[in-house]
Amino acid sequence: MKQIVITGTRKGIGRSLAEHYLALGWGVIGCSRGEPSIEHAQYRHYSVDVSDEVAVIEMARDVKRQFGEVDVLLNNAGIASMNHCLLTPGSTVNSILQTNVVGTFLFCREFAKLMRKAEQPRIVNFTTVAHPLNLEGEAIYAASKAAVESLTRIMARELAELGITVNAVGPTPVLTDLIKGVSSEKMDALLARQAIPRYGKPEDVINAVDFFIRPESDFITGQVLYLGGVT
Amino acid sequence: MPKAEMLIMPNSEEVETLVIESVRLLAEDFDLAALQQPNSASALYGNEGVLDSMALVNLIADIEDAVSEKFGASITLANEKAMSARQSPFLNVKTLSQAVLERIGS
Repeated sequence: MKQIVITGTRKGIGRSLAEHYLALGWGVIGCSRGEPSIEHAQYRHYSVDVSDEVAVIEMARDVKRQFGEVDVLLNNAGIASMNHCLLTPGSTVNSILQTNVVGTFLFCREFAKLMRKAEQPRIVNFTTVAHPLNLEGEAIYAASKAAVESLTRIMARELAELGITVNAVGPTPVLTDLIKGVSSEKMDALLARQAIPRYGKPEDVINAVDFFIRPESDFITGQVLYLGGVT
Repeated sequence: MPKAEMLIMPNSEEVETLVIESVRLLAEDFDLAALQQPNSASALYGNEGVLDSMALVNLIADIEDAVSEKFGASITLANEKAMSARQSPFLNVKTLSQAVLERIGS
């Protein structure tokens, strides 16, 4: 049975991804800061802050003991905070960078070690259209995802010798908790900048992830795929 | 989250034995004739070492796994100074064993 590690599975896109791969018969290893929201015989949950280095190492060690190799890692966990740069506290900056950048890095580092002997090892990171669109009010969130894109491209080279592909998917806004509290006027203006001006759906993200992790995609690495026609 | 197994504090000889065995297994996998029978003085990475960066990455991951399984300690050999030539713990089996022992004890 293939094993997929997905961060941030308690809700939103992460939960949809977990349910999708469980339905396909995969073993899903999920994590979130809180308690699990999924009950399934093939689902294993870890309550972990993705930016806590010691906790991530402990999780990886336990996954190794329990499951051996890992086939796929999806670095879905992320947080956002929409605010003008002049009104953004340093604590918010640190928090976003810790979860989105440090968390992604730590999971790549620790779980790549468990993917060395997998047949088609894959890492998919999560970015956002807020970065290429240079969205006002998203300075730190977009900057954190720009860092994730850079990590993706460089790790793609560093991990290529291990046969691991590293790519990123950049969803448009999806109606999840991540954008709750943002006014509808702002969301409409944002959607209007996409070639296909609608909200994304979890299925759109799942489709992109499926593409990156399919066996035939072993010659595709270091790529960032934005949804909705954003370039 | 499940706790790691109980920590067993090894002595320096036990750690070196673990490192030597990890190097030997790696040498088999990577077909490295110079490290088929490693000992304390065997050069690993750097001027005299025979490991390339990818073999070193594999060795580090193997040793972290072995330490976890044998001694119940979750260590990471990543270190801000690890890749600098003068202070690298990866020069030879002895320096690497010392680094592993320090991480287990910290």
